[in-house]
Amino acid sequence: MNLSRLASLRQTGPPCASRVIRMLLPLVALFICWNAPLSAQEVGPDKVMVDKQTLQTLLQRVDELEARVQQLEAGSQQALQNGGFRVSDAPTASTVPLSASAMRTPNSALSSSPVQPNTMLATPEMRPGTNAGSVGTPTKTPPAQEQEPSQSENVMAERMDLSKTLLRIRGFGDVNFGGDTMHGDTTSFSLGQLDLFITSDISEKFKFLSEVVFEGSNSNIYGQPKTGVNNLGVDLERYLIQYSYNDYFNISAGRMHTAIGYYNTAYHHSTWLQTTTGRPFLFRFEDEGGILPIHTVGVSASGIIPSGALGLHYVAEAGNGRESQSPQTEEPVQNIVDENNHKAFNLALFARPEAVRGLQAGFSVYRDVLEPLNSPRVGQTILATHVVLVRSNYEWLNEVMLIRESLFGQNKVYNTPGFYTQVSKQFGSWRPYLRYQYVNVAKTNPVFPDVGLQHGPSLGIRYDASEFVALKFQYDYTYQRQPQPAINTLTMQIGFTF
Amino acid sequence: MQGRIKFVGFLGLAALLLALVARQAAEGASPDPTDPEVTIQALAIIVNRSNSVDALSTSELRRIFLGDRSHWPNGRRITLVMREPGEPERRCMLHDLYQMSEGELKNHFLHGLFTGDILVSPKILATSIGVRKFVFNVPGAIGYVRLSDVDDTVKVLRVDELLPDDKGYRLKVELPVTK
Repeated sequence: MNLSRLASLRQTGPPCASRVIRMLLPLVALFICWNAPLSAQEVGPDKVMVDKQTLQTLLQRVDELEARVQQLEAGSQQALQNGGFRVSDAPTASTVPLSASAMRTPNSALSSSPVQPNTMLATPEMRPGTNAGSVGTPTKTPPAQEQEPSQSENVMAERMDLSKTLLRIRGFGDVNFGGDTMHGDTTSFSLGQLDLFITSDISEKFKFLSEVVFEGSNSNIYGQPKTGVNNLGVDLERYLIQYSYNDYFNISAGRMHTAIGYYNTAYHHSTWLQTTTGRPFLFRFEDEGGILPIHTVGVSASGIIPSGALGLHYVAEAGNGRESQSPQTEEPVQNIVDENNHKAFNLALFARPEAVRGLQAGFSVYRDVLEPLNSPRVGQTILATHVVLVRSNYEWLNEVMLIRESLFGQNKVYNTPGFYTQVSKQFGSWRPYLRYQYVNVAKTNPVFPDVGLQHGPSLGIRYDASEFVALKFQYDYTYQRQPQPAINTLTMQIGFTF
Repeated sequence: MQGRIKFVGFLGLAALLLALVARQAAEGASPDPTDPEVTIQALAIIVNRSNSVDALSTSELRRIFLGDRSHWPNGRRITLVMREPGEPERRCMLHDLYQMSEGELKNHFLHGLFTGDILVSPKILATSIGVRKFVFNVPGAIGYVRLSDVDDTVKVLRVDELLPDDKGYRLKVELPVTK
């Protein structure tokens, strides 16, 4: 506005100009005074007067920094000579204490862990033109202005904090809505399992793994109604300490999923990871009326068998097995006490050949002795074989099983055959699937007299609504042994991980 | 009337086919190496200098980076180091080694950790310098950086007997040219 006014004043003629100049004079003087110190500096920076004390302080600081650089270089050299972890990088008196944010979040495949820069800790020495120790690689000197994030501080922090066990928790859950045509059943919303999957690296060789599941109880198991169906309980589904010696030998102790077939160890208590809304008949959990010893309390050894491109693996297990009174008992898994001295054994072998990505084929043999009430002892042998092809956008699962129960002292043998096949294909976020399953337990079976014959198709679709949320809609048609009617079941499920 | 319905149906079908073809083309499109806006650089697989392993085959490397192998021959546990999703180096690994999408890789590790098949999830680091320094500090670590980010603090592995600057080396990272 002043400029426009000045222009207008200029247009008015010389008498007015002198008045304007008089008005501007104080402003010009003020401007000159204001800029005087700046101009003095600009004229000759080398002529700036610095007081002696400041100069001394700066020189002293340079000396300190030079000493620090020498110390760090010596540490790097020593570490390189040792060829191992740089112990000399342990925090010194001059080291800034690590803040909580500087300690990286423990490993997570799903979250990034930005590294906090901390210039007070050592950085690897980088010398231009040297190539010692590298396999024929060119070297590069990093630009001086690059910010070097210090990994070592985090690693050191993880190693030095003895009280930190790097506990990690991931959760899985599902909510369902569904109904069936079985007499007495109602259409209901139901809470699925809330699964807290907890792992911890105790040390480089030892690892802890557990699944704590909050779940409701089933309303009935094979026609036997249960009370308190709306109560929620807590189950410790897996509880394992693992020692990992190398790829060829790992040993675990605790409560685990028995390595029978494929499904039981590929899918645990998370519906989100599964394509379908639930597990096949054969692999139902014990407390849902399943016929297999899904869980075992004992020890397990596993690893790779040197076999080149064939990719052979083994699993050998010994444990308490399952209680013979199920499904009547509340807890069929023998967590604390075995009903007899005979231990259950399981041996599984499977191959993951390199030639066909995603293919796995194998078999397992399980042996236990059961002692049902009012019945002779029963020798149980479970033979299982599987061929599965699992790729990111396609899966085809096939498993066949024979459960063989023989009564001691009698010539009676009960064979229970079962199988399922499941195929699915991903189309963008949609994954339609089809499963056919079959299990046939004899009416006179001494262990599971109420299971009977069940077979039929399941048809469904899974929609991945987001990266960690899946919606599923499934229809099951289940034939039963006459005169029981077939059952139609519709289920909607939202499964998620968090 | 019937002819009109057929015509509309035909148009709909054609639109659907066109959309599918366009989608396939968009998915399958790979940057032209002669594209002036993209430069190509080798991606080096790096390990700690104390690691006795000097070379791996592509299939061994894949197994390691998938977590199917969790120990080095000396028994030390393998620690995988990766870049953040979206980084060119990670895209290169997904395309050339994993042959998976980002989501599939995440699912793979999540599933593997859940079943116990994978012992430790990968470390995700934000910068190449971070990867290099982590590998320098952790004896069992393996990671990947651009060849230009390699220095003598780490060891570069041969993949299928080839070093990153050898002809025929497979792992190549495409880098956008910054203007």
